[in-house]
Amino acid sequence: MLRRLASLKFTLVGMILLAGGAMLSYGNPVDVSVWVLVVPLALLALNLFAAIVTNPRINRQPGLLVFHVCLLATVLLAGVGRLTHLDGHIELAENQAFNKDELLDVQKGPWHRGNLDKVHFIQGRYTVDYAPGLKRGLTHSQVFVPRPDGTLEERDVGDDRPLILQRYRFYTTFNKGFAPILTWIPAQGAPITGRINMPSYPLFEYKQDNRWTPPGTGEVIKFWLQLKTGLNLDEAWVLDGRNASATLVVTAGDKRVEMQPGEEVQLGPGRLRFESLTTWMGYRVFYDPTLQWLFWVSIAGVLGLTHFFWTKLNLAPWVDEADTAARGSKA
Amino acid sequence: MNVVAEQPWLWAGLGAYLVATLIAMWGVSPRSENSPLVRNKTHEKLVLGFIVLGVLLLSAAIIARWVRIGHGPWISLFELLMSQMWSLGLIFALLYWRLPGLRPSAVIVLPVMWILGSWVLTLEPDISHFPATYYNVWKWAHVGVGKVFLALLLAGVGLGGVMILRTTERGRVWFRAMPSDATIDKLAWRLMMLALVFDSLMLIAGAVWAQDAWGRYWQWDSLETSAFLTWIFLAIGLHVRLTYKVKPWVSGAIIIGVFIMAFSTYFGTPYLSPSAHKGVI
Repeated sequence: MLRRLASLKFTLVGMILLAGGAMLSYGNPVDVSVWVLVVPLALLALNLFAAIVTNPRINRQPGLLVFHVCLLATVLLAGVGRLTHLDGHIELAENQAFNKDELLDVQKGPWHRGNLDKVHFIQGRYTVDYAPGLKRGLTHSQVFVPRPDGTLEERDVGDDRPLILQRYRFYTTFNKGFAPILTWIPAQGAPITGRINMPSYPLFEYKQDNRWTPPGTGEVIKFWLQLKTGLNLDEAWVLDGRNASATLVVTAGDKRVEMQPGEEVQLGPGRLRFESLTTWMGYRVFYDPTLQWLFWVSIAGVLGLTHFFWTKLNLAPWVDEADTAARGSKA
Repeated sequence: MNVVAEQPWLWAGLGAYLVATLIAMWGVSPRSENSPLVRNKTHEKLVLGFIVLGVLLLSAAIIARWVRIGHGPWISLFELLMSQMWSLGLIFALLYWRLPGLRPSAVIVLPVMWILGSWVLTLEPDISHFPATYYNVWKWAHVGVGKVFLALLLAGVGLGGVMILRTTERGRVWFRAMPSDATIDKLAWRLMMLALVFDSLMLIAGAVWAQDAWGRYWQWDSLETSAFLTWIFLAIGLHVRLTYKVKPWVSGAIIIGVFIMAFSTYFGTPYLSPSAHKGVI
């Protein structure tokens, strides 16, 4: 049975199916099931396991054995990675501490058992360099990570330098922007302070608006942030919250008010105060405990393949010189 | 027309490759077999010399552009084609020097390189933007092993082309000085085996870079899928050869098929799709 499963013809069928699955997955379409890849990979894993056990061409040649075992391990690790992974996003404002309950678009495997509870850091300022034509350059996002002694360690993350805590990786994204910090003072009850994140900047520079309904009221308040950031399409520019100022246009019913930081306005059942302008950074959060294993196993596999080829290719000359000479003399 | 610093070097480099191509063609022609240059194989030295000269001139072109725009040839199609012309020339020159058996196949390899050479001449040498994610050191490993992979495939294409052309009378005359089909087939697939090693390394280095740059090591984006298909086609080719007794021309066709896949991965997919690999996210 195992010998039949180890058939090279079966390998070819599995590879062709996998190639077909990969073609269907081209460009990562949402309407193609993951099974087009999982089924051929499972068949190939079975075939590979059987071949490793029964095929002396594989299990008697150390290099080829290492390569095929590592190939099998790579498939299995990738599978374990999907079962234990976590993907998500979070938007953090300056001085805001990370809170796992604020993660957005979370996708995680059924076996995910991470220590997200133990992830602690505070968002600081950030800057993003832009070349003329609004071409994004380096992002420098400042984060503060608590040390065991209670002090804070400052770190600079951005682009290909993620913040890694408890194996969770936090990547800065293009999704970042401004947020007015507002206090709502109801006629009765305690004031509420919070922020309204405006759309990503400068991607939606022309559309810095949002809306909010104060709790206990049915009145929708519309916000439009008129920003001055020094943005100039024709010149190099640095997005830096410290160099930005804003006028907040507030519309509630028929009332329209332009506010500067520190100003208050009466809006129906309460008062609204524009405290200050802050920035927020959108992070992609990624967790996969198999990452380092995948790397080392795949490297070991390539080393095995190299060893096999090295020994095989050294057994015979690359070109049969006698053959070359014979054909040359015939000519 | 505004000529920028790298263009004269580029044109001179392509000119050197052109001379190498013409000498290689002249060398296999039956009309030249009585020429003393061909009889004592001096023409092969000339071919090698002009390829090396082309590589040196293209090195100058790459350096001139690097100095002018402030970053290496990583981004635009113009840069990628120029840099591939350089690396393909360099690695093929090494193989040409060390493996005399494949030398006549230069008449296939060099014209294939000319597809890139003609293409680059049609492009504007505009300044490209260097994305933040391209500062990653894994880019060097990914691109470096990728260049070796493509060059090994190209050398395989030369040998595969010989096996196919030898099914014709003219092909048998042109490549009369080459070893038997069995020997060429063996040499071609040795190059394919090495190509598989470098292709695997390219995928690994690319995955590490993607993890750092975009927060995931694999997501079946257009370029990743295309690169994976190239790898699996190469693996299929190796296993077909193990499983069945393959005729030389079929063997050559498989190699050329893998190369076409790799070629479209390198020079098609990144510029036809909004893939993250363009680095403009």
